[in-house]
Amino acid sequence: MPTKDEVLAIVYGAMESLNEEFDDDQKIALEPNTKLFGADATIDSLSLVSVIVDVESAASDALGFQVMLTDDRAINEAVSPFTDPDALSDYILVLAAENA
Amino acid sequence: MSHDITLSGDHVDLRPLEAGDAALTLAWRQGARARLLNPGAADAAEQAAWIAARPANEYNFMIQLKDGRPVGMLSLIGVNALSKHGETARFLIGDEDAVKGVPAAVEAMKLLYEFAFDRLGLQRIFGNVTSDNMLMVKWQKYLGMKEEGRMRRHHFLNGAYQDAIILGLLVDEYRETSLPRMRALIKMGQAPARAGEGDLNAHEG
Repeated sequence: MPTKDEVLAIVYGAMESLNEEFDDDQKIALEPNTKLFGADATIDSLSLVSVIVDVESAASDALGFQVMLTDDRAINEAVSPFTDPDALSDYILVLAAENA
Repeated sequence: MSHDITLSGDHVDLRPLEAGDAALTLAWRQGARARLLNPGAADAAEQAAWIAARPANEYNFMIQLKDGRPVGMLSLIGVNALSKHGETARFLIGDEDAVKGVPAAVEAMKLLYEFAFDRLGLQRIFGNVTSDNMLMVKWQKYLGMKEEGRMRRHHFLNGAYQDAIILGLLVDEYRETSLPRMRALIKMGQAPARAGEGDLNAHEG
């Protein structure tokens, strides 16, 4: 099983990749509670897709199963996995436990 | 020649681009986010003339939030009624702050795809994206478009030649891939945040 920090590092990696496309004043903070999507979010849906693509790819490689972040399971979660990096990491850890 | 078609979603509407939008859309085209698009008009009068001169096989839309605030633009151009294809173009979110946390871009694209495939009965839509515009390439591929080719040194932007990546989407790929992913992303934007972390409805226009 991966640790929370290992999964957070995957999410931050995707956010770093997104930041490379931004000017300095647009860059998002690599912190657990940075709002990703929904109320008070720091990015729009175009940027969210970039994070989704990169997290799905890196997490699938690291965890050894296909991580899907926009399937029925994800969108029917009681709270959005895309609230912030902390919530997204927790959701990926749940998937990892189920696939262990 | 303009059209009078308005497409309505939960978060945004697409309404016809009008000459009165010239100053705003020109400002967007001159903004940082448009640096990877072809240069637009030189001034508002030229932009207004360009808008008024759009041909009948183009559908040019303003993306506006449900409260009426315009936040971007999006077009379906080169619609060919015989071959049933069209080109998505001029996709630009001009007011980035207004759409943070709102599935505006994805719903705007969904409305345009529905219009193209379900109302116009197109079999295929396509477009080209500057090779440096990695966010847009990633976005379009995630939403179902497939890379069909590359036009080398096709654009001269920001002092340098850039390749154009050709992307295409067939109607069955739209139904199998694009639509479910678009619906998921829109639903993500409506999902409650983790408890105690914000007004659940604050982002809904």
